[in-house]
Amino acid sequence: MPIKQFSLSNRLLIAVSFVLTAFLGLSAFSLNNAFQASTDSAQHQRLKNHIYTMLASAEFSEQGEVTMSDTLAEPNFTIPNSGLYAQITTGQEIIWQSKSSLGLFIALPNHPGPSNEHLSTIELHTKDKLLNLAYGIVWENEQGHHFNYTINVSEDLNAINLQKAKFQLNLWYWLGGTGLMLLIAQALILRWGLRPLHDVAADLHAIERGDRQRLLKNYPQELNQLTQNINTLLDHEESRRKRYKNSLADLAHSLKTPLAVFRGELDNSSNITEVKDIGHEQLDRISSLVDYQLQRAATEGHSSLQARVSLGDIINKILISLDKVYQSKSIRRQFEMERDVFIHADEGDMYELLGNLLENAYKYGNKRINILVISRLDNVDIHIEDDGTGIPKHAHKDIIKRGKRIDTQVEGQGLGLAIVSDIVTAYLGEIKLEKSHLGGASFIVTLPKQ
Amino acid sequence: MRILVIEDEIHLRDQLTQQLQKQNLTVDAAADGEQGLYLGLEYSYDVAIIDLGLPKLSGIDVIQKLRSSGKDFPILILTARGRWQDKVEGLESGADDYLAKPFHFEELSARIHALARRASGWANSILRCGPITLNPSSQQVTRDQTVLDFTAYEYRLLHYMMLHAGEIISKTELVDHIYEQGYDRDSNVIEVFIKRLRRKLDPDKSLNPIETLRGRGYRLTLARAH
Repeated sequence: MPIKQFSLSNRLLIAVSFVLTAFLGLSAFSLNNAFQASTDSAQHQRLKNHIYTMLASAEFSEQGEVTMSDTLAEPNFTIPNSGLYAQITTGQEIIWQSKSSLGLFIALPNHPGPSNEHLSTIELHTKDKLLNLAYGIVWENEQGHHFNYTINVSEDLNAINLQKAKFQLNLWYWLGGTGLMLLIAQALILRWGLRPLHDVAADLHAIERGDRQRLLKNYPQELNQLTQNINTLLDHEESRRKRYKNSLADLAHSLKTPLAVFRGELDNSSNITEVKDIGHEQLDRISSLVDYQLQRAATEGHSSLQARVSLGDIINKILISLDKVYQSKSIRRQFEMERDVFIHADEGDMYELLGNLLENAYKYGNKRINILVISRLDNVDIHIEDDGTGIPKHAHKDIIKRGKRIDTQVEGQGLGLAIVSDIVTAYLGEIKLEKSHLGGASFIVTLPKQ
Repeated sequence: MRILVIEDEIHLRDQLTQQLQKQNLTVDAAADGEQGLYLGLEYSYDVAIIDLGLPKLSGIDVIQKLRSSGKDFPILILTARGRWQDKVEGLESGADDYLAKPFHFEELSARIHALARRASGWANSILRCGPITLNPSSQQVTRDQTVLDFTAYEYRLLHYMMLHAGEIISKTELVDHIYEQGYDRDSNVIEVFIKRLRRKLDPDKSLNPIETLRGRGYRLTLARAH
């Protein structure tokens, strides 16, 4: 593996962390901006209010001089270096300034004109920064003489900046704390949410070690389909393994009889022709046994995980093949199927099942064979009948007996039908043998579609 | 009748060859798909026996290539696994019959003769032309119930001519179908064999069973009796 795959929890953790960081960062940025804007506008408003208060308490004489009543609402105007300063100018001349600004040289150059205001930042020689609002007014005396004044109010920015910095610090603490908590919460949620997956992995591991046969039942809905399928697969493998084991054991056992017979004959008989005959007979038996058990072991058997196969296709192909092989019999066959039927089964199994049944019909039929496939809701019925001599009623039971060991029989129809019977059983289906109205045998195989 | 056997298992191939030769059949054997295909394309056979699991070129491929090159002689496939899917695949690709291993030689022999008969339009297992009968499984030839005696090559010639009774058969065709591959082929020998056949089948010259068509070949004139 060139690149190590991230685990699911790592993927989620990384992705959510990124999203969270981006979200918190953007939040901090916008909150900070909003706070800045609001403090700026609050400060602006405050400066404006100071100007209006000053206007209310200012007395303008006929000569244009200004006297300010001592009781300005804001005590900071009277405390030196308080950080709040005011000045009234006309032209370049300062005609009034607050006590707080005494000793400070504040040159406030802006003259925005009557009823206009100008907000600016100015730097003092002490390097302190002030936010200044200049407001222009016009005073008209009794003679109609106009005096232009500019009222300047400045506030030290240090306090504000300090406040802002404090807010930012607070903001970072809070957002950082929230982010950390969210990350921890998210990690916990992930662990909880993904636990079923870890459980499945642990379960599978237990199966691997052989501690368990199948996955436990209780999984969340989303995993259920998967675990059910895994269980189905496990069951299917298990039953196949059993079939393998059984057919191997059966094969070993059933081979012993013909071997014993042949050995006995070799030991006891001095007639070479007789020995040869018995040898041939027992070899045939061994060969049939091997064929049968091999086929049994190879049967896939029922599983809902199998892909769908078309019965129509398989039957048609077998019929075309058999027509070729039994050409000289010139059999008239009739194959009826309303619509093609698909079932979940192994193709090889279906070939074996239908091939054996159909070949028997060709072999034992005289001139006519009827094949009828009927599709029902969950099952499919396959009728195969011929016009041969049929099978005597008393033999019916033996011929389609389930799982019958064929150690002793296997003649003619025996082997093929034993295989057929086994496959039908492996697919949880049924096989019936009846007398055909054509005169011969009629096999009816019912298989589940799923 | 000339048979092509393509089988990779050496013991089975030798046994088959010997047993078929014992039945007075001409046999060419190949050990793998490529060699088998070469023989099948190069010579004309009456029946081919092809194992499905072959090295170099699978039996199915050999059959498909033979059929697509226009070779229409009957083909019998041998399958070791005896699975229906294999049988159907083999028959679909152009084979005419199948036999699962292990098999009885009698069964194989019966199938081969049946295929050869079917290909040349015979229905019965015993070939009858006028008063002459030939039984391929016992290799016995009779005229009016009297058993006639033939050498191996005479029998092969008669067998082939009876399978194709009524058809004109050239000398080359006769040579092709009675001699194995690599045998010194002298078509003048055919004339000698035909002369002997005429003498043995028709000692009193009343039947005149074989007609000579100058420059074209020979024809068995006796009517087929089915």
